[in-house]
Amino acid sequence: MADLGYIAIVLAMASALYAAAACLWGQRRGEPQLVASGRNAVFAAGGLLTLAVLLLVYSFLVHDFQIRYVAENSSRHMPTLYLITSLWGGHAGSLLFWTWILSMFATAVTYLYRDRHPALLPYTSAVLSIAQSFFLILLVFLANPFEKLPFIPGDGLGLNPLLQNLGMAIHPPNLYLGYVGVSVPWAFAMAALLSGKLDAGWIRATRRWTLLAWLFLSLGVTLGGQWAYVELGWGGYWGWDPVENSSFLPWLTGTAFLHSVIVTERRGMLKVWNMLLIILTYNLAIFGAFVTRSGIIDSVHSFTESSIGPAFLAYIALSLIGSLLLLFRRWDQLRGDHQLEAILSKEAAFLLNNLLFLGATFAIFWGNIFPILSEAVRGVKVTVGAPFFNQVSAPIFLAILITMGLGMLIAWRRQTISSLVRSLRGPVSAGIVAAIVLWLMGVRLPPALLGLSTCVFVGAVTVREFYQGTLARHRLTGEPYSVALRKLIARNQPRYGGYIVHLGVILAAAGIIGSQAYQQEAQAVLGPGQAMQIGGYRLVFQGFSELRNENLQLIRANLDVYNDQGRYLGRAEPAKELHFVRPDQPMTEADIFRAIGEPRTLFLEDLYLILVAASPEGTATLRAFINPLVNWIWMGALILIAGTAVAAWPEASEARVRVPRGAPQPAGSPTRF
Amino acid sequence: MVATSPWVRPRTLAQGLILALAAGLITLLALGLSARAPKAIVGNPAPEFELELFDGGVVRLSALRGNVVVINFWASWCGPCRDEAPILVDAWHAYRDRGVVFIGIDYVDTEPEAHAFMQEFAVDYPNGPDKGQRIARQYQITGVPETFFIDRQGRVAAHYPLPLTRHLLISNIELLLTA
Repeated sequence: MADLGYIAIVLAMASALYAAAACLWGQRRGEPQLVASGRNAVFAAGGLLTLAVLLLVYSFLVHDFQIRYVAENSSRHMPTLYLITSLWGGHAGSLLFWTWILSMFATAVTYLYRDRHPALLPYTSAVLSIAQSFFLILLVFLANPFEKLPFIPGDGLGLNPLLQNLGMAIHPPNLYLGYVGVSVPWAFAMAALLSGKLDAGWIRATRRWTLLAWLFLSLGVTLGGQWAYVELGWGGYWGWDPVENSSFLPWLTGTAFLHSVIVTERRGMLKVWNMLLIILTYNLAIFGAFVTRSGIIDSVHSFTESSIGPAFLAYIALSLIGSLLLLFRRWDQLRGDHQLEAILSKEAAFLLNNLLFLGATFAIFWGNIFPILSEAVRGVKVTVGAPFFNQVSAPIFLAILITMGLGMLIAWRRQTISSLVRSLRGPVSAGIVAAIVLWLMGVRLPPALLGLSTCVFVGAVTVREFYQGTLARHRLTGEPYSVALRKLIARNQPRYGGYIVHLGVILAAAGIIGSQAYQQEAQAVLGPGQAMQIGGYRLVFQGFSELRNENLQLIRANLDVYNDQGRYLGRAEPAKELHFVRPDQPMTEADIFRAIGEPRTLFLEDLYLILVAASPEGTATLRAFINPLVNWIWMGALILIAGTAVAAWPEASEARVRVPRGAPQPAGSPTRF
Repeated sequence: MVATSPWVRPRTLAQGLILALAAGLITLLALGLSARAPKAIVGNPAPEFELELFDGGVVRLSALRGNVVVINFWASWCGPCRDEAPILVDAWHAYRDRGVVFIGIDYVDTEPEAHAFMQEFAVDYPNGPDKGQRIARQYQITGVPETFFIDRQGRVAAHYPLPLTRHLLISNIELLLTA
């Protein structure tokens, strides 16, 4: 099995290298047959990698402990689901998984566009194959997931218990889809530079791919946060850990890119800028993988092996400098079609938004690599903590929120101040009213007050866009409001989908502000019958209960929860979990208490309970948090998914007309995908 | 990109800046990697040390070349070390005649407590105090217990900064014996 797997990887490497060479040369020399054979090699690499992945999964399922990776990342006592997810539980396997996803993207793009974009596609396939070759070289020479042990252990070491939960089963693949997904727009951009076809064609071709990758990155960031919140048990969802930051960085530049391409599509401006953003996004995604795998920055996420750091760095150098040189070659051809006409215009607002996103990227990147910088300059590793990131990024994100509101209001090309003031009146009043109400409700911290009322302002702008559009349609066509709203969205899905995303972001922003500004914390050591108090809840400790199976031992603290009127709300059960395979890592199972009868636990705040320690004498050390509005972050993420789906959904107006293959396309037929 | 100035074209300036930034960044990351590189313990020759044993002898790591060596850092005050001690002793008895040497290194401890610990668990492989924590520093341990497996060529084959399970200990020894 191991040999077969390794052979598949070696052959996949050969195919990918051939695909890259054949597509490049074939296209350069105008030999369609060579290009076609390169295309087949792309498919071959995809097939071989699929085979390798299936073989490794199979090895996990049959406990083939002769394979080192299987022995080190699974054991006989693991449930089947986690045996499968062990595939990406360690270094070599996750690298294989990453490469496989990349090969699937390459295969999909090469197949779906086989008859379209004839000038771009061979280059796109070539660039994707080059990227794939790099990972395959790593797999073949430096991190072979099919490496054999000289003996067959009786049992494996087991998967890190932190990774044994449903969230962790989904989180890495999802994040990888995002990281790897940005390869597609990047590859198209490089293809545009290589071929000299620099119109907005590559942007249109990749719009959905970019949205898809961006969606997965968004999900990666939020699911990662939610996982940390629910599983790690420290009461927070974002720790500014270098690896978390690394997943956030391409999201930031990706978001900027999504906005700047709108300007290119509408006004033919910001072309160089787009290229820079997508180059940056791709390389930041690779940088994220590099940080996790090289051990260059200490992080809770790091894999222990670090031998592939230099190879990764070499690839970053190659792809970054290579992409930039390609861009410089075409720099003059990427001149904008228009100049910025007025400072008060949508174009300018987009540019400002882009600069702010880039500012946030730079600040976070700076904090991320500061330990390396300080070590290089002063010989001491100085780590930058959460306070730095919070202080630097909070104002930038506030500014982004405000620009988001203004940007939706301002018109393309130019806007007069008086009309802007007119349209600002409503939303700004809403913000002010919100500030007053919040003040009366006891929200007195200036940053929280400012942030939350800004959210209301931007929310009002967004809702007004929907309201006015629907109203206008209703008046014009006499459609009922619900129909008018639906048709409004259907008529311009990218725009209104984007606005829905904005609503999600606003909700999440409010959640972040609320939980950051108003978290409460209490800790107590309780004997049976003793109670502690936090934020209007009374928690009475009723002793431990224990659960044991062949895999683990679970110690639960039983807590009766009462509200401040003394009404019984229910039982909370924070727990400690000991996996026998990894006794060094006891797990904290936080309990986020919810009671139907107490609406604030459903909508406004989390009562978050952790069992810190259980003493043999029967006392429990408990930590309790009140985390306001955390739920809103997850709800925001759901709305964001919905909005992205609306924006990416094939539009009714471009319902596909089936054209027989080979038939000439009618002029003006939709080429958008 | 817009107008051409007589001195430096803005285009050249922008491109130069971007390239310089990219190159600087890559250099920085390379520096970071190289600063990190010599720190790797696993895969490199095991740092040499001389340990004065509790029973008066001296053990020198290089003198054990040709054997598989298991170096265990422990302390009498360390809870997990108590769980680990019987496992280590059992394995030592099972493998002492097969070219495997165990060395216990007592980290930040007091001698009477260390003796009591060793008596309690009948620890009879070479053991000694790490005076001035020199060896601990050479091996960059972050706590106790930690265990290093040294192969017959004197290289560190594996490092576990955690209490060993029976299975982990045995499979590592077997791995090095068959290598």
